[in-house]
Amino acid sequence: MKHPKSDTDGISGGSTKKTAALLLFLIALIVLSSVGGLWYLYLGPGASSEPGQAVIAEIYQNGKIIHTIHLDTVTESYTIRIDGDNEAYNVIEVHPGEIGICEASCPDGLCVNMGFIHSEILPITCLPNKVVIRIRKGDNPDHIDSVVY
Amino acid sequence: MKNISLQKMVVLAMFSTVALTIFVIESMLPPLAPIQGVKLGLANVITLILLLCFNERDAFLVLLVRIILGSICAGQMMSFMYSLCGGLLCFLTMSLINRLLRKQYIFITSVFGAIAHNIGQLGVAIIMTGSLSILLYLPVMMISAVLTGLFTGFCAWFTAPGLKKYLKKNHI
Repeated sequence: MKHPKSDTDGISGGSTKKTAALLLFLIALIVLSSVGGLWYLYLGPGASSEPGQAVIAEIYQNGKIIHTIHLDTVTESYTIRIDGDNEAYNVIEVHPGEIGICEASCPDGLCVNMGFIHSEILPITCLPNKVVIRIRKGDNPDHIDSVVY
Repeated sequence: MKNISLQKMVVLAMFSTVALTIFVIESMLPPLAPIQGVKLGLANVITLILLLCFNERDAFLVLLVRIILGSICAGQMMSFMYSLCGGLLCFLTMSLINRLLRKQYIFITSVFGAIAHNIGQLGVAIIMTGSLSILLYLPVMMISAVLTGLFTGFCAWFTAPGLKKYLKKNHI
């Protein structure tokens, strides 16, 4: 493999090398923090659902919550249709414990491709139709954490 | 525009065509991952090559032409905003890093460009949907930016020297 060399090589090779090393370090830092962030989201506190915790799906349209669904209390699957501007629509399927978009008017269909989610790691977004579905773990109002005498 | 020679204008127009073709073809390929915004960004190779072989102004002109024509050809009006914000932020970062590195280590420049591009797109997405929860995409976007940035960076790294020699031989 031939290594292309720039014209300025040699004149200021030392300082450029130092800058490059610094920038590489910065990239490594970004990657490490991202991996750390993902690790925290997947395995950290809050990722594992405790039996008493409520799983709440929030459906946003244009930044406002239009539906809130307690996924852990859903026993039968059903669909919701969300209509937006210019005949845009998303059909959302709710299953026990998970939620997803099964049909949408957006051209890329990425929201449908994301499938069903059941944890708060990645929200489903449909950017063309400005719809976001996120899951939030909440305290179940009927559940008692601990009792102290 | 008056101080761009005709020959250079033709060459830049050709580069715009190449960038546009890459952009359109890439938009037809199936997405790499079922996540919004994760894509290779191959058209950025042309911007990188122009940064190396020409100057920042030429690279910027070609980028602007590519984004405007690309949104007309391949995208919808929505994707124009994403492309523009991502592209401009990417270009600013890349020209800064490219100056710092004196046109060397173009793959580092490319990685930072990709990171800036994704941050710009994420910013537009947050404003458009008005929902901060999209920020959860950030770690995924950053990792994908580093990987795709490295790929496009190496594409430019191996293409630019030969092209530079060719351009020099033909006095462009």
